[in-house]
Amino acid sequence: MAATPARTPAEQALAARYPAERTSLPGTADVIAIRDAAFGGIEKTGLPHRRVEDWKYTDLRARLKTFPPAAGPADVARVLIARPAMEGDKARRLVVANGRYRPELSDLENLEDGLAVFSLAKALEAGDAAVLAALKLDEATAANTAVALNTAFMTDGLVITVADGAVVERPVEIVHIAEGEPAASTAVRHLVTVGRGAKLTLIETVESLDTVAHHSNIMTVIEAGEEADVDHIRLQLEPDEAVSMTTLVARIGRQATFDTFNAALGAGLARAQVFAEFVGRDAEAGFRGITMLSGRRHADTTLSLIHGAENCRSRELYKAVIDDEARSAFAGRIAVPAFAQKTDARMMTASLLLSEEAEAYAKPELEIFADDVQCGHGATCGAINEDLLFYLLSRGIAKAEAESMLILAFLGEAIDEIQDQAVHDALIHRVEAWLKTRASARKAGEPAA
Amino acid sequence: MLEIKNLHAKIGDREILKGLDLTVRPGEVHAIMGPNGAGKSTLSYILAGKDDYEVTEGEVLLNGESILDLEPNERSVAGLFLAFQYPIEIPGVATMTFLKAALNAHRKARGEAELTTPEFMKRVKTVAEKLNISSEMLKRPVNVGFSGGEKKRAEIMQMALLQPSICILDETDSGLDIDALKVVAEGVNALRSPDRAFVVITHYQRLLDHIVPDIVHVLSDGRIVRTGGPELALDLEKNGYAAYVADAAA
Ligand SMILES: Nc1ncnc2c1ncn2[C@@H]1O[C@H](COP(=O)(O)OP(=O)(O)OP(=O)(O)O)[C@@H](O)[C@H]1O
Ligand SMILES: [Mg+2]
Repeated sequence: MAATPARTPAEQALAARYPAERTSLPGTADVIAIRDAAFGGIEKTGLPHRRVEDWKYTDLRARLKTFPPAAGPADVARVLIARPAMEGDKARRLVVANGRYRPELSDLENLEDGLAVFSLAKALEAGDAAVLAALKLDEATAANTAVALNTAFMTDGLVITVADGAVVERPVEIVHIAEGEPAASTAVRHLVTVGRGAKLTLIETVESLDTVAHHSNIMTVIEAGEEADVDHIRLQLEPDEAVSMTTLVARIGRQATFDTFNAALGAGLARAQVFAEFVGRDAEAGFRGITMLSGRRHADTTLSLIHGAENCRSRELYKAVIDDEARSAFAGRIAVPAFAQKTDARMMTASLLLSEEAEAYAKPELEIFADDVQCGHGATCGAINEDLLFYLLSRGIAKAEAESMLILAFLGEAIDEIQDQAVHDALIHRVEAWLKTRASARKAGEPAA
Repeated sequence: MLEIKNLHAKIGDREILKGLDLTVRPGEVHAIMGPNGAGKSTLSYILAGKDDYEVTEGEVLLNGESILDLEPNERSVAGLFLAFQYPIEIPGVATMTFLKAALNAHRKARGEAELTTPEFMKRVKTVAEKLNISSEMLKRPVNVGFSGGEKKRAEIMQMALLQPSICILDETDSGLDIDALKVVAEGVNALRSPDRAFVVITHYQRLLDHIVPDIVHVLSDGRIVRTGGPELALDLEKNGYAAYVADAAA
């Protein structure tokens, strides 16, 4: 007989926080009911551990040492002077600081025709029917721990709609900034609806101004309508102390084009989840990402895709570079129901191990019930190719630089799929900065920071 | 310039070089010929610093200094260049990025500033044109999708760009068509100078018609078993290695 395990400090903190906060969180009675249901689920099961299949590689029970209190309002002056995450002014920047949308810090001028931006908190307070409906999730997604935590504690977020046929050329960037000490938690939910034949590029950056154990939980729900064209890119850049959970939920309509890219470049413990579904036929989607890890960091990418319509095509490509004693995990699951004929899906994950102690786990799964499909998956894991390295060295290039070139080449296969040139270049800069830090640490003969 | 003394080397338990001696002076062109598996490429890799091999005895001096403890990149900036028998493809690394990194590493070692982009481009263009390497090829990742002959030409282009003092060419002629052979030979001859030396590994006299060697060696079973003038290559072309293989075995 298994005794109910004692509550961990993180679970105790959660149990104390929710009852104290539930009525001061934004939302009508209906919203509170949704929050209660979500929190009830967590109360019942506790935090997931490694024997829970979805959390096999990321034992939250063991890894979450605490669950910090809710973040207070951010110091606006500090947010203002913070270096913007994405260089250049091309994108329309919307700021979410310490879990609250800050319109006064955001660029809302000359909103394109058909583009609308609202605060989720306000919509929850008003009991907006459409927004309430958009909080509904399928059972499995709703029960996911990161999602349930988000539902229970969400303070704000953006409700973005792009009207049918509206082509928003200028990317919209949501900048998430955590600011202040001591460590605090934030939970943010964005609801994005891109109408029929509409176009949107949505960038998310996730940052913290302080090297403390902030805990961020960001969930973005994207509804890509028929023939819509949606490009979603997230740069997760938090410091090593941070805990980062991100969830993307995407529903992809008929003949839509949908791409998402996650760059997991920060946080000591990072979990990036994607729950996506094709809900209309003849659509195309790309799910890609890179992870760069050093020190003792741990990053987990979990993808679940339901190829729920005929003749849809998807490509999944996730690459990880792992140094020192870091660990990376990828779990990807593609389900093809019996009616989804002509499905074309190819999932690939590759890990490059830069040290003897680095670890990579991969669990690609295909569940195929249709017979006329083209589906494949692959996983590779290895060190830097010695022959390639020797060739570069033999031309005079120093080892650290040669390794950087090969690491960049490895990641490039995924990064080069990013369509937005400015975002692509900004990410390359980030990667190069990471590689430079590593190279100079190696030159100095210390383990990379 | 390059002195190899009693070099013994093995890979795993297998001894491949068994007491090899070779002295190359500035301005000279040496040809090394020898049967398949004799150890020619092994010699070239050991000179370049590939760490699959264990040197068990002997020494290698470049301008009087031992290079066996140097990293491959240190040997390169010290002036040694190996044109590979089988140049490798490096997907994802742009040729220009690679060439720039290599050239700047050499300049840095000499205490020179990095080249400006226009100056760098000009230099690459100049050497590329001489070797019939199109700008389209330069836009690809290193050696990716190059034909066998194109890879060999690209090696010589790198050599021309880096201006090494000792050039080791491992079967650069194999895979080249007749015209490309001439282009490559001209590229090499253009680099001949009183303070630069070449070690040309080849199986065929035809390369030596274009790059005329001062000295020809026969390498067999891990040793230089015969050294002579250009006429030695002609003799080998006619009579093969039978006599030397027997010598080496004796
Ligand atoms: N990695 C290795 N492991 C085991 N044996 C090796 C390895 N590399 C080379 N050898 C052996 O060493 C010997 C010399 O090889 P090498 O490539 O130097 O010959 P070569 O003279 O260049 O021949 P070729 O004319 O065919 O190019 C061969 O018998 C080869 O099989
Ligand atoms: Mg050889």
